[in-house]
Amino acid sequence: MADEFMKGFACLMVGGLGWMTIKGWYNTPSFEGAQLTGELTIEEPTTFDQIALFMGDAFFWFAVLGALTFWVVLPLISEFQTYLNERSA
Amino acid sequence: MSDNDTDDVRTDGSGTGIVSPDDETPAWSERKERTQGLSRLTYEYFERARREDQDLRQQSDYVERDVLAFPAWPHEMMRNIALTSFFVGMILFVSATLPPEMPNPANSGVTPAIILPDWYLYWSFGLLKLGPLNPELSILGGSKLMADRTYGVLANVVVVGFVAIVPFLNKGSARRPVEQPFWAAVGMSGVIFSLTIAALSIKNLVPMDSHLLFDLTFLVPIISATITYAVLKTMREGYMFDLNRRYYRLRPPK
Repeated sequence: MADEFMKGFACLMVGGLGWMTIKGWYNTPSFEGAQLTGELTIEEPTTFDQIALFMGDAFFWFAVLGALTFWVVLPLISEFQTYLNERSA
Repeated sequence: MSDNDTDDVRTDGSGTGIVSPDDETPAWSERKERTQGLSRLTYEYFERARREDQDLRQQSDYVERDVLAFPAWPHEMMRNIALTSFFVGMILFVSATLPPEMPNPANSGVTPAIILPDWYLYWSFGLLKLGPLNPELSILGGSKLMADRTYGVLANVVVVGFVAIVPFLNKGSARRPVEQPFWAAVGMSGVIFSLTIAALSIKNLVPMDSHLLFDLTFLVPIISATITYAVLKTMREGYMFDLNRRYYRLRPPK
C-alpha cells in the first residue's frame, strides 16, 4: 500500500512540476496578477512552443490521472478482487 | 554464513529468543529468503554492513559494546547526500526555469498603502486587533481598563505563555495523535487558531464580513478541536488493534 501511495505521489509531483514550469513560461503574464492560469503570453506559437504547450497539458493529465490511478483505481480493483475471492471461497 | 539459519530452536538462551507464535508467522530465516527486488538488495546491503561491523569488532581491541546502529560513514552519509542532491537539484531547476522577476527597489520615502509584517508574523499582528474583546467595565463607568493596543500586546504574552506551558502540562509520551486524542485536539485547535488569527490580521483583504470573520476566528478552532477529538476517539480502537497486531504478533507488513 505504501508503494502505491508513493507511485501516485511521484506522478503528482513530477507532473505538477512540469506543468508548473510550462505554465510559468506561457501562462504567467506578470509577477503580480494571475499565476500559471493567466492568458497565453505569445501570439504565434512556433513548433517548439506547440510542443511545449502540448507537454504542459500532458504533464497536467499525467499528474491527475497518475494519482487517481494509484490512489483510487488500483486499490479499488484489488479490493474488488479480494471481495470476489472471499465470495467464491 | 552464520549457523543461525538452521531450523533447530535453541532454548539455552544462546539464540535470539524469538520464536514464531504460530505457523503463519514467518521465521526470521524465512524472511531472509526473500529473493527478489528491493527487499533482497536491502537485505544483502544490511547483512553485509552488519557482517563488516561484526568483523571489525572482533578484530579490534576495543571492548564490544551492545550498540544497535550503523556507522555514519557511509551508511548515514549516503542517505544525506542523496537528500541534499535532490533539494539542491530542485533549487537549481526552479531557479533556472522560473527565475523570479526583480521589480524596482522600494521607495523608502513613501509609506505604503497597506502595512503588514511578513506572513509568518500575521498571527501576532492579528492578536493586536482584539480590541472588541477588551472589556468595558461598568465599575469604571464604561471605560476600559487598558488601551486596546496594550490589550493586544498582553494577548501576545498570553498566547506565547500558553504555548510555553503546554510541554509542562503534557509530557508527550504518546507517539501518535491517536494515542492521546485530547492533546491532539488541543494541538489541532492551536494550529487552526494560528491560521484564523492570521486571516483576522488581514481582514480588509478577506472577502468576508469582518464581524463574522472575528467570530469565526474563535469558533473554527473549537469546531476543529471537536472534530479532531471525535475522529481520533473513533479511530483509536481499530488503529491500536492494528498497531498491537503488527508489533506484538510480529507479522511482516505486506
